[in-house]
Amino acid sequence: MKPTAKPVADPQVVLREEFDDWAVLFHPLTAEAVGTGPVGVAIWKALDGQRTLTEIAAEIEAQCEDAPDTVLEDTVAFAEDLERRLFVLVEEKDEG
Amino acid sequence: MHVMRTPRTVDIDLTARCNLRCRYCYFFDNPAVPYEDLPTEEWLRFFDELGRCAVMDVCLAGGEPFIREDLPQLLEGIAHNRMRFALLSNGVLIDDEIAAFIAATGRCNYVQVSVDGSGPETHDACRGKGAFEGALRGIRTLQRHGVKVAVRVTIHRHNVHDLEATARLLLDELGLDSFGTNSAGYLGSCRVHADDVMLTTQERMAAMETLLHLAEKYDGRVQASAGPLSEARTWARMEEARAAGAPPFPNGGRLTACGCHSSKIAVRADGAIVPCNMLTHIELGRINQDSLAEVWQRHPALNELRVRHAIPLAEFEFCAGCEYVPYCTGNCPALAYTLTGQVNHPSPDACLRRFLADGGTLKAI
Repeated sequence: MKPTAKPVADPQVVLREEFDDWAVLFHPLTAEAVGTGPVGVAIWKALDGQRTLTEIAAEIEAQCEDAPDTVLEDTVAFAEDLERRLFVLVEEKDEG
Repeated sequence: MHVMRTPRTVDIDLTARCNLRCRYCYFFDNPAVPYEDLPTEEWLRFFDELGRCAVMDVCLAGGEPFIREDLPQLLEGIAHNRMRFALLSNGVLIDDEIAAFIAATGRCNYVQVSVDGSGPETHDACRGKGAFEGALRGIRTLQRHGVKVAVRVTIHRHNVHDLEATARLLLDELGLDSFGTNSAGYLGSCRVHADDVMLTTQERMAAMETLLHLAEKYDGRVQASAGPLSEARTWARMEEARAAGAPPFPNGGRLTACGCHSSKIAVRADGAIVPCNMLTHIELGRINQDSLAEVWQRHPALNELRVRHAIPLAEFEFCAGCEYVPYCTGNCPALAYTLTGQVNHPSPDACLRRFLADGGTLKAI
């Protein structure tokens, strides 16, 4: 997935914010569940189809005190994992 | 104490009506239950709340859930709120129309049908004439429509010697992946018919031996989380640990069973929120009147159940001098309540020392 992609979270997917910053994304059609942390939740909530992954990664970086250098790569990898699981819909656009 | 923000699963008794009157049913003959049904709109409103709470699964039971004429509408409400569902049934009322509807939702985890024998002689002994034929018809209808079928065999005095043939029916003839087993417990109608239904110590031993053999023969396709097969396995581990003077089990020596209250809650057919559909006397609130999240996080009775695991078995006179205490969890709080009148008490039904004192042995295990 390109950093310019603007993935959108499948509205069917349920986000359960549990405790200790731990959360679960659950797809009721496939019954698949994915555990994630606060950064994953922040990315998930930003997957609105309006923002690119580059923009989302920049927002995450701005929110975190000790963000690693790999924020963009990690954000893309997370989005790709969600795409494989059919949790997000992606319409690839070349905006470069 | 860490508590999830909302329950992950909700067990719902959709109806207090049933087409059968099984002699060991845990649901009927319970003085704590008013046996009233709610209208469709009440359940749909509640499902909307469950959706807002991000509940993942509901388990629909009763009574017999397929007796509700509005079941398709209710299942649509569940799917609309992004949940999956399971149904617990006697199978008799399942027809092509509802099976096709369930399959089309794409949200069904499974439909569990009770099968208690290899033929009407054993199955119908406690369930009534025609129940066996209806259960098998229901299973085959679900299979035809591609709905996942689970089967639970409840073992009692009239089917304990029919387990091999029952396994053949379910696994070889019907082709199920597996089936679960339990035994009639001292709850609801079973209390009224206990002498006729509940296994004696000798019958319990016979069930354990047969089920262990079947579990091996069918390579794990005969399963249990309670009842004789589960007890046979647990008690063998406890005896081995006691004989070896092994250190206590991580969950041993305290009332650590069960852990349901950390992830699920239940609702009676009349809309009362309860900790479990077998602890129906503990009313925590009412749906559409009380906030489920508030009840879940703050109700004192629920939080009391959650800290039950800290109560040492050594505190109970019932456990005094028992060598198995370091390896024992106290077992089901609902059975403890019906047998002793106390939720915070070990269940005498699952007591290994009592089983041995009553003439039980573990040598077959």
